[in-house]
Order: sequence, then C-alpha cells, then structure tokens
Amino acid sequence: MSKKPTAGPALHKVIMVGSGGVGKSALTLQFMYDEFVEDYEPTKADSYRKKVVLDGEEVQIDILDTAGQEDYAAIRDNYFRSGEGFLCVFSITDDESFQATQEFREQILRVKNDESIPFLLVGNKCDLNDKRKVPLNECQLRAQQWSVPYVETSAKTRENVDKVFFDLMREIRSRKTEDSKATSGRAKDRCKKRRLKCTLL
Amino acid sequence: MAPQPVVTGLSPKEGPPGTRVIIRGEFLGNRPQDLVGLKICDSDCLLSAEWKSPNKIIARTGPARGKGDIIVTTVSGGVGTSTVQFRVYHETIGPLKESAVWIEESSPQNFAWGRRTLTQSGLTQEDPLGLSIEGNEQKIPEDLRDLVPDACGDLSQENFSPAWFLLENHSATSFVDLKAGLSYLKRKVESQKEGQLSFLKSNAGSVIDQLDTLMNIRDKLQEDTKLHGSEPLDVLELSIKNSIIESKKIFDDVLVRKEKADSTRAVLFALSRHKFLFCLPNAVDRLAEAGEYDKVVNDYSRAKNLFGKTEIPIFRKVLEEVDQRIMQIRKQLHEKVVKMPQRVEQQKKLIKALTSLEVQQSGTLVGDKLRNIDPAWDAIEARAKYLETTLRHTFEQYANRDAATQDKLKNRDPNQTPSRVNFCEEICDIAASQLPDLWRLGQLYFTGELRGQHDPKPGDFKRMILNAIEKFCVYLRLTILIAADQRTLRQTTGLSWPIGSNTATHQFLSWIPQCLRYTRIAYATLISLDLPSEALDIIQKLIDEVRLFCFSIIFKRATDRCKKLDAQETWEMGVEDFPGATLLPAALEALLVETLDEVQSVCMQPEAREGNLLEPQSDGQREVSQRLQEFLSAFSRVIEELAYQSHDEETPTHNVSQLLGFPNAQHTDPNVSSGHFYATGTSAVTWEQRMLCCLANYAYCNKSFFPHIGELFVKYGYPLPTLAIETSRYTVNQLFTNLLEEYVEHKGDPLVGTIEPSMYLGRFQWDHEMEIGKLRPYAHECCDNLVGVYSEIYTISPALLRPILESIVQTISEELARLMSCVRRFSFTGAIQANVDIRLLRDALENYVNETAKNYFLEALEAINPPLNAEQKRKADEILGHVKHNMRLQLLCFGVKDL
Ligand SMILES: Nc1nc2c(ncn2[C@@H]2O[C@H](COP(=O)(O)OP(=O)(O)O)[C@@H](O)[C@H]2O)c(=O)[nH]1
Ligand SMILES: [Mg+2]
Repeated sequence: MSKKPTAGPALHKVIMVGSGGVGKSALTLQFMYDEFVEDYEPTKADSYRKKVVLDGEEVQIDILDTAGQEDYAAIRDNYFRSGEGFLCVFSITDDESFQATQEFREQILRVKNDESIPFLLVGNKCDLNDKRKVPLNECQLRAQQWSVPYVETSAKTRENVDKVFFDLMREIRSRKTEDSKATSGRAKDRCKKRRLKCTLL
Repeated sequence: MAPQPVVTGLSPKEGPPGTRVIIRGEFLGNRPQDLVGLKICDSDCLLSAEWKSPNKIIARTGPARGKGDIIVTTVSGGVGTSTVQFRVYHETIGPLKESAVWIEESSPQNFAWGRRTLTQSGLTQEDPLGLSIEGNEQKIPEDLRDLVPDACGDLSQENFSPAWFLLENHSATSFVDLKAGLSYLKRKVESQKEGQLSFLKSNAGSVIDQLDTLMNIRDKLQEDTKLHGSEPLDVLELSIKNSIIESKKIFDDVLVRKEKADSTRAVLFALSRHKFLFCLPNAVDRLAEAGEYDKVVNDYSRAKNLFGKTEIPIFRKVLEEVDQRIMQIRKQLHEKVVKMPQRVEQQKKLIKALTSLEVQQSGTLVGDKLRNIDPAWDAIEARAKYLETTLRHTFEQYANRDAATQDKLKNRDPNQTPSRVNFCEEICDIAASQLPDLWRLGQLYFTGELRGQHDPKPGDFKRMILNAIEKFCVYLRLTILIAADQRTLRQTTGLSWPIGSNTATHQFLSWIPQCLRYTRIAYATLISLDLPSEALDIIQKLIDEVRLFCFSIIFKRATDRCKKLDAQETWEMGVEDFPGATLLPAALEALLVETLDEVQSVCMQPEAREGNLLEPQSDGQREVSQRLQEFLSAFSRVIEELAYQSHDEETPTHNVSQLLGFPNAQHTDPNVSSGHFYATGTSAVTWEQRMLCCLANYAYCNKSFFPHIGELFVKYGYPLPTLAIETSRYTVNQLFTNLLEEYVEHKGDPLVGTIEPSMYLGRFQWDHEMEIGKLRPYAHECCDNLVGVYSEIYTISPALLRPILESIVQTISEELARLMSCVRRFSFTGAIQANVDIRLLRDALENYVNETAKNYFLEALEAINPPLNAEQKRKADEILGHVKHNMRLQLLCFGVKDL
C-alpha cells in the first residue's frame, strides 16, 4: 500500500531489553546462529535479521539487541519506539537484574504508550538453578501483575530459546492483524500523498 | 559453487567511521583467503577485515556516510547480500563529551569548497506564466508520476516537462488564461532578447575587462605549455595519485594510532569498570575481619565469574593476589569453624562460606595447596571432642571440689545441696544443650547441606554420638548409683568420685530423685531429637537403674520410719472387724500408701521411653518383693517390741485370786467393760492388755491386714507380691505363737499353781470322811480365776479366747490328773467329792477342752481309788446337778463361744 511495495515476507521487530550481563546477546546469538558465547562483551546496539518460518508462514525477524546499560539510556527511547515486541530479560541468578525489569517495563510503556504491547518476561540462565536468587513464584507473580507470559530460558542449553522468540512473534503478528482491521487503509494512503506534494514544491 | 554470502547480524548496527563491527551471517567464506571483498556502506573495508569463521567476520568501518548494506564477497560464493544495514553517523565531540570510539575530526563536506552556483535570474521566477496558481493546489492529478515518467515540473531541472508543469500548477486554469499566459511568456522572452543587447551596451567596460582577462589566461596557458609540455594534466593526475597513496598511508597510520588509543581507553575503562577487582584483595580482608564471610564468598565468586578465565595479565595477577588472601581467609575460617564453644548457626555459616570458597578455589594453583579438608566433618569432630572434654572437666571439677570440702568440713550444712546433685544438674544441662547441637550439625552434614567434596562418614558419626552418650551415662552412673558395684566401671574409665563420709552419703540419698529428674529432663530433650534407639537405650538403661535405686531408697526410708511406729501406738482399738487389733496397722497402711504415692510419682510411673520396672522375673520385681518383705518384717518387730517392752518397764500384775492371801482387787477400770479404752499413756494400760492387743494385731495381720496390703500393691499397678506377703504372714504367725506361749505361761502358771495349796488348805485329807453336797473351795477358786482371765481376754479380743483358754485348761487338767494320782486312798465321801469337783471343772470348761485335756480329766477321774460304787456315783450325780444349778451364772459365762 505504501509507495515502496513490500513484496517480501512480513517483518517483525523484536527488541531485547534487560540489565547488562543477563544474557540478551547470548539468547540472540543462540537463536540466530545456534552458538553460545561464553565471554562477556558489553553490547551497544546490535541488529540481526533473518527469515524464519512461523506457523508455516515465512516471516522475517528483526532483532535489536540493546545495551541495557545506563550509559546509553539516552538513545534507548529511540530504539524502543521502533520495536514491535519486547523480550525483557533478567538473570535468575541476579536479583538486581530482576528488580531492573520493573524500570524497563515502565520505560517501554512510556515510549509505546500501550499496555498490551507484545512483551515477554524472560528469566535467563535457568541452567544455573542451583545459584538461583530470584524465586520462581516471585517471577510468576510479576508476570501476572503485568499480564505477560513468563518463560525461563537458558542461552547455554538452548532451553526455551526458540520458544520466546516465536511466542513473541506470534503476539506481534496477531497484534498487527488486529491493528490493520482497526485502522482504515485509505486514510493512511491519503496522508502519504499529501506529503509527497509538499516535497515537490 | 557455495551459496551466496548473506549477512544477517551486526554488532553494533551503527557508529562513526572506524567502528569495530562484528559481522555475522552465513557462508561468509570457508577460510580467511576465501574472503575477497567487504564493503560497508559502499566503503571498502577488506583491509581491516578479520575472518573468524564462516559465520563471523570482524571489521572496522571506513569513511562512509549514511546507511548501507554490508556486502561480503567470497571466492566460493560470489557477491553476497545483507538483511541488515549499518548506519554511519558523525559524532561531534567536544572536550567534555565521553566517547567510546575514535571520532574523525575533519569534516568531509569541505570537498565542495570554491564552487558556487550562479543564480539564474529570469528562469527561477515563481510564476513563469504570470498567472496566479492559487486555488490549484488541491487538484493535483492522482497519478501524475505514472503519466509522465522521468520528468518533473522544476524549471531548473534537465528533465523539465512542460506538461507536468502545467498539470501540476495549472490544472484549473482556463484555456484563455493559458493563452494569455503564453503571450506573456513570449513577450518576456522577446524583451529578454532585446535586453541582451542593451545589457552588453550598458556593460561594455566590464566586457572589455573580461576580454583582457581571457587574453591573460591564454598568455599564461601558453607559458605553461612551454614550461610543462602540452599535457600538463598528466602531472596533475600523477600528483593526485600520489596524494591518494599518501592519504591512504595516513589513514592507515591513523588507524593504527587509533587502535592504540582505543586500547588505552579500553584499559582505562576496564580499570574503572573493574575497580571492583582491583579493590578486591583489600576488600576481602576487610570483610573477613568484620566476619562478613557471606560477602567474601559473593565477591569472590563474582570475581571468579567475571575474570576467572581472563587472559589479561594484570587481571590474572590481581586474581592471584585475591586467591592468596582467600587462602588465608580459608585458614582463618577453618580455625574458627573448629573453635568451641559456638552456636551451630554460626558454625554452619562459617562452614558454608568455607566450603564454597574451597569449591571455588579448587582447580586453581593456590587453591589446590590447601585441599582435602572437610570443614563440616572437622566441625563435628571438634564439637564431639568439646562435649567430651566438657563432660570430663565438669566431672573432675566437682569430684575434686567435693573431696576438698569433705576434708575441711566434716559437718556441713545438711540443707546444702550435695556436690553430686549439682554435678548431675550441670552435666545434664551440658548433655541437653550440646548433644542436640552436635546431632543437628551431623544432620546438616548428612543431608548434604554442609557436606564438602568428601564422602560422609555415617558410621563414624554414629559411633561419636554413642560414645558421647556412653560417657554421659558413665559419669552419671559414677555419681548417682553409689550403692551399685562400681569397681569395673572405675577400672575401665579410670574415674571415680571420692567416697565421702557416711553422713554425706546418707544425705545424698534423699537427693537421688532430684538427680533422676535432671536425667529425665535431659533424656526427654534427646528423645525429641530422633536419635538412633541404640543411643537412647543406653540412657534408658541408666534411668531404669536409677529409678529402681530411687524405689529402694524410698522404701528403705519408709522401713526406717516404720521402725519408729511404736511411738505412734495409742492402744486404741479401732479395727471394726477384728476386735483387739489397734490402729497401728492403719498407721502402717497410711505410711505405705504415702510411700507408694511417692514412689509412683518419683520413679515407678514410666515416662516417655522408659522401661516397665515390674516385668515378671525382673530385678524390679525382685526388688519390690524384697523391700516389701523388709518393710513388713520391720513392722512385725515393732509389734513384738511393743509386746515385750512391758517386761522391762513394769512387773506384770498377777491378778489371780488366791485363797492363801486376800483376793487381788480385780480391775475396776470403767473402760474395760466397754471394750475400748483410751489410754493417755502406756502406763494406763496394763501389760496384759497390751500383750493381748499385740496378739490381736498379729492375728489381724496374718488373717486380713497383710493380704490387704497385697491388694493395695495390686491397686497401684504392681503384680501381687505373694512371696513377700506369705513370708511376712509366716513370720507374724511365728511371733504370734511365741507371744501366745508367753501370755499363757504368765496367766496359766499362777492359776494352776494355786490349785494344790488351795486343795490341801486346812490340813485337808482325801481319806478322811467329809461333809459333801457342795463344791470344794479350790475348785471354786479355779473357776473364778478362769472367769477373770476369760473376761480379760473377752473385753479385748474374743478371738483370742480359744487359743489361750485351751492351753490354760489343758494345764489345769494335767495338774488335776497329777494331784489325783498322788492321793493314795479316798474315803467314801472323799471319792464322791473329788468326782464332783473334777467333773464340774470339766463340764464348765467344756468349750475349751481339747483332746489332751479330755484325756487328763479322764485320767484324773480314774485316779480316784477305790473307784466309785453305784451308790457313790448316784450321790455324786445328785450333788453335781445341785452345784451346777447354784453356779449357773459362772457356767453360763464359759458357755459364750468365741465369735
Ligand atoms: N550459564 C549461563 N550463562 C549465560 C547464559 N546466558 C548468558 N550467559 C553468560 O552471561 C554473560 C553475559 O551474557 P551476555 O549475553 O553478553 O549478556 P547481555 O549483556 O545481556 O547481552 C556471558 O558470559 C554469557 O556467557 C545462560 O543461559 N546460562
Ligand atoms: Mg549484550
């Protein structure tokens, strides 16, 4: 409908948020390349995109892996704006990271201004259950309060890694179909045309 | 050919030129040489590319602008594609702004310097047709672009299309207006043509100047050609090429320097970021000093996680330093763990910290130096050892103190608690507090909460517990069971409690129930721990022994009190169904009930996990039986003493009337007749009365009181102590017989002794004729005396009549037989008289005549010589009938049978 016709598969934009060191990059890389990175290298903003088959339909997933660190907080809002769905990651071995999810959630809601934005609370490093610092019920309680799903993953063992990305994509997809129903296509079109003329003059 | 390379991931996805980028994707080449091209945003970055794997290349962005693809070219797969894009941005950086990357400081925009666009006067005017375009804006044709491709309505552009222009700006203008517009335009063009000439005219001066300048330029050019040849551009090109190479060099040089700057910055960054690590050696020391071992563990594990595998030398060095300190801390911790006394919680905390430090340090060089320690087990051992020494010290301390004070003060304050008791209390306290701690620590160890890398030693632990309990019991045994044979115990343990004076020992006996209570409290605590039953059995055995000991002590004390019961004898005859028996047995029963109550509450009632002391054939039962027997025989002796006491105190009253003297005043005690006498003191009661009471008591004990005692025991839950009861009954019976003999002898001897003198009073001779028709006085006297005895017994205990009277009657009959056989000849009347006397006595005492007495009477009758003829017999019968009639009241008295 827009002037650049999107002949390719649907694109779902996913953003990884969470404190530093919780395994956002590890999850992303595991999902993208089936590899696990042992060493910790702070991220700034990484971009990944690939084709996947979601329920028989070919789609593209675009993953933005963010820093999750205070230093880059200023640009964060910009990233959030572009996201369609969020994986909010914390490490079950680090209570501070769990507490931080609260703030991420608030920031996202502030930027997106939408309570029902596709969002998953992800407790990573579940392979380190013996070092668990965040009780499961506390995690579930929080997810319930936010009415979002809670999933525990391990970037190391690949447990639930595909699940979180696919679940999130499904939410984004159903969200989009709802949206397209809600807004009329024509009105959008008109807006575009008007802008075109202005550049001409 | 391999598939085309495709880039699917970028880290980071944006940054200034020179940013280090990790490129991820698929088929990015199968070896470093396979990679032949890399462009990021159209800038060639192959130079800085570092091939890592078919999925990963690391490169640095070049001096590009804007957003663009990453194109990887490989020999095997050709030119690739990318699904992600990199965006180059230019950060303006001030002296105050922190930047993670190196920033290009010269602005690339400056290439356009010197070029200036001339303003084209007429052609840029807003409205070339001189028509207003107002009101036209709204009506732009929908698909203008499709209709006129490759065109635009901008007059200044090459692809200007008049049609576009008109459609865009004048779709609503009328044709007439357009025509007018056209003529306007034409006019304008004409006027411009004319205008060119006049323009030249008016600017002739400057035109000439321009011409001059052109001439100058031509001269210069010719000079240049002379100087540099006909192709001066070649030189230019060459120098441009040189400068390109030069600039490349500079760029590379700058890259190298930038790399250095980057690493310096990285180090600084790392330093500040890893401040934590560098402060760690001192931090752990400080924390350890403050006892915050949890924090030490946390910090250390964090450092291990973050830097454990680092290759950076400085980190390694610091980490080694930390490892050294941790080693020290581990040593300290180990000392603290085994230091006693301390709380289990504290110990547990220390052990946990120590174990986790140990685990984390295992594998490292330093860590392996101090291995093979199992702190939890060491803690258990330390605790066990501490318990053992505490027990021993306490024992020695009390035992020695006791020995010392005994020497000094032989007569201590009897109310003061004996040392043994204090020791008992303390040792029980120790066991009840330390054993649970030890056990709990052991549980923690075996459930795995505290276990190190070593296998648990359940056998050892159990032995430890058993040993501790065994020791505990040995000390208690040495202290409490003073009556038991402790020789072997002393030999095996080498311990003993100094033997004190008799009084001290005796004093201690009354404290034993207290000791039992202490032991039981400790035992209850231990039971609640779920100790193995083997362990509890050891204590149970001790407790059962102590209980039995308590029982003995209490019963012995009761026996002692029983021995003093004589003081309580009031001679009050209160036993309803056994006249003559006093209230003494009741006092005994009260004492026994009190004792049983005490015994029951002190020791016999088994508490939790205690044995039944009364199992058949057990020591317990034997003890009970023996103690009861002792108790009862003590009572028997009390009665005996009461009976014989009188011998020493007063001369028995021979209240037998004698024809020789004047008759003894018969008792006129008004109470006697009523059957009860309330003596205020022993003196008010005669010896005979007491004798009789004691006899009655014996009989009562034998007949019903002792069996009743047996029932009492049964009521208290004991098995019927048959043996003790029967033995005691036998004893009592024996005593009864002895006492009875004594009484009979005492009463019967004077009575019988008076018969002969009375018979021959006044020179009486049986061979003289005499007046007959009455009873002889001696027979009367004998009868009267018997009535006296009879009444004495009857008032106290009719049940005693038969055994006493029978004996007396027997001696009377024997005496009569003897007297008669001594008479050589009887006169006619004498024979009748003797016959009457003997027969009267025999008939009067008919109820108390036994077989022997009957024979003696017969012998006496047959001794009358010559035997009576028919007339004499008739006369005798006549007189006897007459006498019986006269004496019918006395005779009636003997007719009363015993009850
Ligand atoms: N054991 C374990 N380690 C993980 C897991 N996820 C990440 N890590 C490690 O945690 C560290 C930080 O991970 P990273 O993905 O860089 O965290 P980010 O800052 O959230 O991107 C790295 O050393 C990873 O190896 C996981 O699921 N299990
Ligand atoms: Mg990361």
